[in-house]
Amino acid sequence: MKKTLSIILIFVTFLIIYFLQSNLFNWFNIAGVMPNLFVILIMVVGLFAGKYVGVSTGIIVGLLLDIFVSKKIGVTAITLGIVGFIAALLDKNFSKDSRITIILMVTILTVLYEILNYAINAIIFSYSLELVDFFIKLAIETVFNILITIILYPLIQKGGYALEENFKETKILTRYF
Amino acid sequence: MYKKKKSGVVGIVVTVIVLILLVILSNIKIENLTFVENVFSTIVMPFQNGFTMLKNKISGNNTFFTDLDNLKSENEELKQKNSELEQSLRELEIIKAENTTLKEQMNLKEKYGEYNTVSGYVINRDISNYTGMVVINVGSDDGVQPNMTVIADKGLVGNVVSVTSNTAKVQTIVDPASSVSCIISTSKDAFITKGSINNSGREIRATYIPTDAVLVQDTSVETSGLGGIYPKGIHVGTIKEVVNTKNPTDKYATIETAVDFSKLDTVLVILN
Repeated sequence: MKKTLSIILIFVTFLIIYFLQSNLFNWFNIAGVMPNLFVILIMVVGLFAGKYVGVSTGIIVGLLLDIFVSKKIGVTAITLGIVGFIAALLDKNFSKDSRITIILMVTILTVLYEILNYAINAIIFSYSLELVDFFIKLAIETVFNILITIILYPLIQKGGYALEENFKETKILTRYF
Repeated sequence: MYKKKKSGVVGIVVTVIVLILLVILSNIKIENLTFVENVFSTIVMPFQNGFTMLKNKISGNNTFFTDLDNLKSENEELKQKNSELEQSLRELEIIKAENTTLKEQMNLKEKYGEYNTVSGYVINRDISNYTGMVVINVGSDDGVQPNMTVIADKGLVGNVVSVTSNTAKVQTIVDPASSVSCIISTSKDAFITKGSINNSGREIRATYIPTDAVLVQDTSVETSGLGGIYPKGIHVGTIKEVVNTKNPTDKYATIETAVDFSKLDTVLVILN
């Protein structure tokens, strides 16, 4: 029951973010560059709810985005799936309680997601590479994501631990004994 | 006896003085008294003004108290009228916006009268910073099919990449995956424009420019009709900058698109 509620909550969050990305951030942007809240969402799910939930949420959200606005189905699904997987891996090695760690994770995952996405699209659609423009945009987007993470940090913590409680079983951490 | 005599003398003296004063005053011309009047005015006027103001205020207040009920009802009426006017204003604003949209559509239809078109609105924009897709509210039910050309009042928007029954995904010409065969309106030199992720969102890049082509700033660029998607002669934009490289075959130019994609709202899909 709690898992179902959490899934519904993730879906509602997805819808809110989708609305914000496609409407609000079209005018509320930094030098024409929008943040990418989907990366933050998938990172939080992967980090707190575990590998399987993170990857599957990433793939489903990516697929929906591909269906809604992309030219090819699958690119966003793959890259967001990877984001969910890496977020789950980071959970094993870093503390989730530190604001700095979360900010660093968002930075790494935003950069990784956009580079992967751009590279795959460049190969599929034969882009003429504009690396300078790409990295300028990426830098602005990363800063925007960091700022949003700082603002949303209490919500991320609260929602994240609620997800963790619902999806992860209580484990005895033997490594501490 | 002495007392009676004394008071009689004083009375006579006072009467004489008053008489003399009367005589003097009655014979003095009024113009000669201006300085006295000034002095008197200076002393008296502030008091007089104060009293007048006080009097007016009291009189006004009295009117206010007497007309309080009338004023209340008048205020209510004005409030109601105000809200009615505000409502009318809102309705007018809606009508004005509708009118503008309809005019835009009308102009578009007139401008591109030679084509069989269907008009639509942008209902969704891309969520990514690196691509340029939009979703419009017309689909296969309206006769829209993939690879159809989409235009706006200022010029070329892009082409349809996929459709559902009610919506269509449009790849704009600023999308990095987009390529359009274009010519310069005056010299008819042909080249290929490619979308760009440039921060302005209105820039595309002209590539494969013939080595002998003469590209001049602010020259108009239009579609060449080659490639099978875009019809000939649709305005694309103007040349903003020409970049010459060591190798003349690598020469490129940046073109500012005629359409401002951040404000894109009404579009036409060319059906034929």
